[in-house]
Amino acid sequence: MIVLEDVHKVYPNGTQALNGVSLEIPERDFAFLVGPSGAGKTTIIRLINRDETVTTGSVFVEATDVTRLRRRDVPSLRRRVGVIYQDYKLLPSLTVRQNVEFVLKATNEFDHLSDGLVEETLATVGLTRRTNHYPHQLSGGEQQRTAIARALVRRCPILVADEPTGNLDQESGWETIQLLVQLNARGTTVVIATHNRTLVDTMRRRVIEIERGRVVRDEPEGGYYG
Amino acid sequence: MARLHVARYLLGSAFTGLWRNRTMTGGAIVTTAIMLITLAGFLAINDTLNQMVTALGRKSNLIAYVRDEARPTQVTAIIDDLRTRPGVGEVQFVSKEDALAIFESRFVDQRDILDVLQSNPLPASVELRLNNPAVVPELAQELQAMTAVFDDVVVPLDVVEEVIGISNLARVAGSVIIIALTGVTLFVIVNTIRIAVFARRQEIEIMKLVGATDWFVRGPFVAEGAIIGGIGAGIAAIALVVLYAQAAPVVTRIVSFLPVSTDTDFVRNLAVFTLLVGLIVGSLGSYFSVRRYLSV
Ligand SMILES: Nc1ncnc2c1ncn2[C@@H]1O[C@H](COP(=O)(O)OP(=O)(O)OP(=O)(O)O)[C@@H](O)[C@H]1O
Ligand SMILES: [Mg+2]
Repeated sequence: MIVLEDVHKVYPNGTQALNGVSLEIPERDFAFLVGPSGAGKTTIIRLINRDETVTTGSVFVEATDVTRLRRRDVPSLRRRVGVIYQDYKLLPSLTVRQNVEFVLKATNEFDHLSDGLVEETLATVGLTRRTNHYPHQLSGGEQQRTAIARALVRRCPILVADEPTGNLDQESGWETIQLLVQLNARGTTVVIATHNRTLVDTMRRRVIEIERGRVVRDEPEGGYYG
Repeated sequence: MARLHVARYLLGSAFTGLWRNRTMTGGAIVTTAIMLITLAGFLAINDTLNQMVTALGRKSNLIAYVRDEARPTQVTAIIDDLRTRPGVGEVQFVSKEDALAIFESRFVDQRDILDVLQSNPLPASVELRLNNPAVVPELAQELQAMTAVFDDVVVPLDVVEEVIGISNLARVAGSVIIIALTGVTLFVIVNTIRIAVFARRQEIEIMKLVGATDWFVRGPFVAEGAIIGGIGAGIAAIALVVLYAQAAPVVTRIVSFLPVSTDTDFVRNLAVFTLLVGLIVGSLGSYFSVRRYLSV
């Protein structure tokens, strides 16, 4: 369950990114976050993960009041929210496998380094033959899939994907979405920020449209445009 | 099992980081070692001087010669008072007769000198044996002021005062130099860690975003600092043991009166102390730079 209540966000440089956003995404929901570039989609995602803090308003994730979170409780929130970043954030000095392993080490999940979870995850995103490649040796799509694998390996109850199909061709993009649909079917709450019109129109799932920092449309089974 | 993984992760990241940044690491280790060798050197010198002061103090006497016309009750009262003073050991009254006896026993050959004299020319005296040489000057002044009772106060001061002076000077100079060197060492360690943090900013960002605890993010850097401090201290400790083994006998031979501690306990304690200081300075230095530059 993710709840935003009248959230305003002004960045330190004065940019008004969000201007009174309220939305509610229940557990196990599957929702698209659409809207033009600069609408505020990434900002919403960063507030959910407490990568940024609200200016006013409140954000809840499950029972956690994110805006009142004590510093030492931030990690437990972030462990529940997996984010696939628009710019991947891969570590250039680590291979595909090491990038995936890195997040397990960072969250003290050393046991999963040797139980086959990493291989399984890499196979899921179709990177079995690229495990020892460095990011600069990968295509854009492969980098994106590495970023997805890195989020999947953490098995978070909430998965937020920021433009996960941006660098993928139609078919790979479709496969990625199917992957997220499967995760959702097994209980993960999935939120996808995207510009991919075909995808949203084909899926006909919940669509939340953001424009200039406001929710302008929220339909249970919508298309890219209203 | 889990702890072992964490320890391996921490040390693994730390060594990777140190190696990636090896020029800085080397500089930081050398600086730490120099600081610690100096620290240990001053401690050794200080120990020697302290032992000298104690040794001299044990011997040091203060003799106050009593006027012939002084009233015996007054002298007794003063002696009783002196016995209660801190730093004062034995207080002995040497009467005119005692003084004469001592003189006679010491200068048997010159007995005839005394025979010439009608009366006993030697004054009675109060002799003080002092535990703490630092109280000598004040006490001497005090007794000197009692002109009605005491004729003259004799203090074998020069040597004691000089040693105390040197020892105080050494302590002050040592403290100043050690504080300065600790400052330099901290500066170097802080900067080394700052560069390490900068080199790893992307890793740190991701660690934080996936919910690594502050402790987990800081851990490798603090370990890096501890390793720098530890290796620096190890070098210093080895240098110390070797130097001491070489130097102590030579010093003892040349200036035989210097009470240089030659027992292995002293050197071992010094080495252990050096290691501890190295580890503490290293970890604290990196802990603070991580807090400062990592904002975690
Ligand atoms: N760190 C920042 N500092 C200042 N302004 C920012 C920052 N991040 C985003 N913005 C601004 O906030 C607004 C919303 O940005 P955001 O990244 O949320 O848009 P978006 O909907 O994700 O766009 P896109 O579809 O292009 O990814 C934009 O005007 C952007 O310039
Ligand atoms: Mg965006």
